[in-house]
Amino acid sequence: MTENIKWETEIDAALALARVEKKPVLLDFFNPG
Amino acid sequence: MDAVTYPNDRVIRFITENMIPLRVAFDAQPLSADFNIKWTPAIITLDPDGNEHHRTVGFLAPEELIPSLLLGIGKSYFETDQFDEALGSLEKLLGEYPESGSAPEAIYLRGVCRYKSSQNPKPLKAAYEQLAAEYPSSEWTKRAYPYRLL
Repeated sequence: MTENIKWETEIDAALALARVEKKPVLLDFFNPG
Repeated sequence: MDAVTYPNDRVIRFITENMIPLRVAFDAQPLSADFNIKWTPAIITLDPDGNEHHRTVGFLAPEELIPSLLLGIGKSYFETDQFDEALGSLEKLLGEYPESGSAPEAIYLRGVCRYKSSQNPKPLKAAYEQLAAEYPSSEWTKRAYPYRLL
């Protein structure tokens, strides 16, 4: 069993990680209901 | 997405290995306005500078989400002139998910990448011919139609 997706919640932190890891960002806008 | 797609082991593995996942409520400002969000789920591929390269709206099953993300990654490389990297993502998509809804656009974009990296127009014609043979009703076959003359 794979662990769950570890979502970032702040775009600045996600972009900083993306620059370090040289990966694109998956940005998911969702409806928390 | 939360019930079916995001808990899927292949999806978790793909996202963890290839992307930085960021999740934001549809009404969170200023991001919602910045990205003009009107419906969910809205799934967007950004490069590390925050520029958008690909967007889908609506539910995607695991076997459609992964190729859609590969297409987004490929487009993010293509639109930043990294054609070899773009081709890597597109070839992976077409090799592993040829039945996905993202495949026709990937064939089209692969032809464009090959043309842009070689200045040889033959890959554009090859893309049209493959699209016409395998996806005759796709909008990407129609978009590639002029390339039949190359």
